[in-house]
Amino acid sequence: MTTLTSGGLTSGVSAPPGGLRRFGSARWRRRNLTFDKISFFLVFLIIPVAFYIAFVVSPFVQAAYFSLTDWTGFTPAMNFIGLSNYAKLFTDSTFLQAVGNNVLMAIVVPLVTLALAMFFATLVTVGGSTRGNVKGLRNSSFYRVVSFFPYVVPAIVIGLIWSQIYDPNSGLLNGILTRIGLEQFTSFPWLGDARTARWAVMFVIIWGLVGFYMVLFIAAIKGVPAEVFEAARIDGAGRFRTAVSITIPLIRENVQTAFIYIGILALDAFVYMAALEPGGGPNNTTLVMAQELFNTAFTKGQFGYACAMGVVLAIITLAYAGLVFLVNRIFGGKSEVGE
Amino acid sequence: MGIYGKPLGRRDFLRGSLAAAALAATGSLAACATSGTGSSTTSSSAPAGQVSDTNPFGVQSGSTVDAVIFNGGYGIDYAEFAAKQVQAKQSGVTVKVTPTTKVAQTLQPRFVAGNPPDVIDNSGAGLIGINTIRDQLAELNDVIEAKNYEGTVIKDTLYPGVMNPGTFDGKFIVLNYALTVYALWYSASLFEQMGWTVPKTYDEMLSLGAEAKGKGKYLLGWGKEAATYYQTMAIGSAIKEGGDEVRLALENLKPGCWSLPPIQDVFNGLKKIIDAGYVKPGGSGTQFTAAQAQWSNAEQFILYPSGGWIENEMKSQTKSGFKMTGAPEPVVSSNSKMPWEALHSTAGEGYIVPSQGKNVAGGKEFMRAMLSHDAAVNFAKTKLSSTIVKGTVPADGFGSTALQSQIKMLESAGSNIFSWNFVDLYGMNTDQLVVWNSFLSGDSDVAKLTKGLQDITDKVAKDDSIKKVQVS
Repeated sequence: MTTLTSGGLTSGVSAPPGGLRRFGSARWRRRNLTFDKISFFLVFLIIPVAFYIAFVVSPFVQAAYFSLTDWTGFTPAMNFIGLSNYAKLFTDSTFLQAVGNNVLMAIVVPLVTLALAMFFATLVTVGGSTRGNVKGLRNSSFYRVVSFFPYVVPAIVIGLIWSQIYDPNSGLLNGILTRIGLEQFTSFPWLGDARTARWAVMFVIIWGLVGFYMVLFIAAIKGVPAEVFEAARIDGAGRFRTAVSITIPLIRENVQTAFIYIGILALDAFVYMAALEPGGGPNNTTLVMAQELFNTAFTKGQFGYACAMGVVLAIITLAYAGLVFLVNRIFGGKSEVGE
Repeated sequence: MGIYGKPLGRRDFLRGSLAAAALAATGSLAACATSGTGSSTTSSSAPAGQVSDTNPFGVQSGSTVDAVIFNGGYGIDYAEFAAKQVQAKQSGVTVKVTPTTKVAQTLQPRFVAGNPPDVIDNSGAGLIGINTIRDQLAELNDVIEAKNYEGTVIKDTLYPGVMNPGTFDGKFIVLNYALTVYALWYSASLFEQMGWTVPKTYDEMLSLGAEAKGKGKYLLGWGKEAATYYQTMAIGSAIKEGGDEVRLALENLKPGCWSLPPIQDVFNGLKKIIDAGYVKPGGSGTQFTAAQAQWSNAEQFILYPSGGWIENEMKSQTKSGFKMTGAPEPVVSSNSKMPWEALHSTAGEGYIVPSQGKNVAGGKEFMRAMLSHDAAVNFAKTKLSSTIVKGTVPADGFGSTALQSQIKMLESAGSNIFSWNFVDLYGMNTDQLVVWNSFLSGDSDVAKLTKGLQDITDKVAKDDSIKKVQVS
């Protein structure tokens, strides 16, 4: 198979005609290592892999090693202490709380964001009038552009804007609520009350991301031939039935990818938290692993311990990605479109 | 192999790469890695310069001093002023002043590589925990024993006790430059207009709260990032009440230290004020400068515990004619161990000289310039805040009531000046903020506050990987 492919790529030019190709002969091998081929390997394989090893793999390996040491982060010296950082981690109530917060966010944020994004994407592409061609709502291109706006604003700016909106005394939200007569919201600290803080923060993240995933789904739905939707409509399927039975199965792969990306974001969430809840929120209800890691490393000077947190975060992230694949398999992954 | 026993197909490969992308996205992990651990060999920075009275550390002519200065509330212009002084006094020496807002993040790789700057202003929210680098710092005794540019021994020009916060296990390694007085701040004009007097005990605070309420004002207020200003006040009050024994219990992370009677009395005093509804609600969701503006500009509450930097910090958001003035933190009873006038004062803006720096002598010379009269007066005048150098603030405080009151408080405190280190030393503030935010918003009680603070203290005390500093 290899020879076939490589022959197809290069031998058309380099190999002379007429049965000279004898497998395994030294001559053949030498002849095939042309400049074209070597430069091709170099540019497309060796250099990227070298970069990958230097800038992705080696830092990972290094961090994993540091997690087994008591490195403070400011000395060249460190002692190997085995797994005791990990042992400490699993009894560290603050870190475990941060893990819990992250897991909750990784469940709620993707589900809500993607459901909303799918809802809007359906409306904009196939949810329009049931007469004539399959089309979206009127002025759908306007909605599409407007809904993308929050994504254009950097995450840190979104965080800062919303921290002002949530301000208990001069914020927009309490201003509106008290104006319409809900006096119990006077000076209500949305980001400072343990009951509301995490939901307020998740709302901001969802608000910032729905537009992007909506555009992603629109692009996917546009790739599905309109005849499929027309056929469904002729068979009497309503909008909801079309979305569940036609749209989602046909763009399954996109949904899976979206789930993974947004889940990773929810497991990180550092930028939003840095703007909204730099201190971890009331009773640490919005503390995320990345924040705790950063604190441990830079303000407490325990880089070894922080690296152990990083390793745990990476494992949780991979486990999440694995879970998404698994769920996709269980729910009809076999009949994957396009496989 | 694929899931159905097929050979690794294209799709599975793509899936694998997606997983790899997922791994790559966990950048936090990679962020832990270094750019390579540098050699640990100390660059023996032999100063070739001649040691003399005018060049006490032997700075080499033609050498460069690499100064990294925290660019925060005080800016860097005062450091540039000192740099010019060095260049004027030591011919051929160049001082390079680099500003930074995140000291730990910026300098961490340089410490690891064994190539730190010659002098660092280790301040701000992103400072390097002194505990992590204290073995790598030069002792600074020779700096304060040297003569300043006017010919006086520097030690004799400083306020008493300013070396204490920079001394760890008997080694003086951090020169804290800006003198900070912790106080309860108020508007002298408003108090005069209303006929109020400054409360000296928590009971007096409570009754002032009732009066303020009558005028539609709250007594106290706070912002979420600064909830622990109330902890600072509470510890200050408790130390005045119970004396050094309270301070030492806290500093040495003693079991049950937060349950000592003086601390509990202060907490109960605060709790009464909170329960009476004299604290402006919503602080746990308010950004701290916004909260401070509710005090200094809108006058929605009337007392605010803070350090002396408050005037500079709120300069643009202070009502005209506010006359910001400080008073010592309240005590609990009339028979407290220290008088009400006793003062929590410490020095901030910690300057350090890493012993591995290329030009240790140059770093020390920079400090000598800062501690000399011209630079110290320049700081006081432009920042409206005193340095640790005495006699740089005139009686009119350069027209600042806050600075006047600071000097007055320092004078009346005499030798009753105290401070503590444990909160910053062990990096506890972030965890303590959480507990204090819920206490101030009325969601928890004294028992919960005490337990929360004790848990934070115990966690550090029990962690063998954290080096402890014994305080006596």
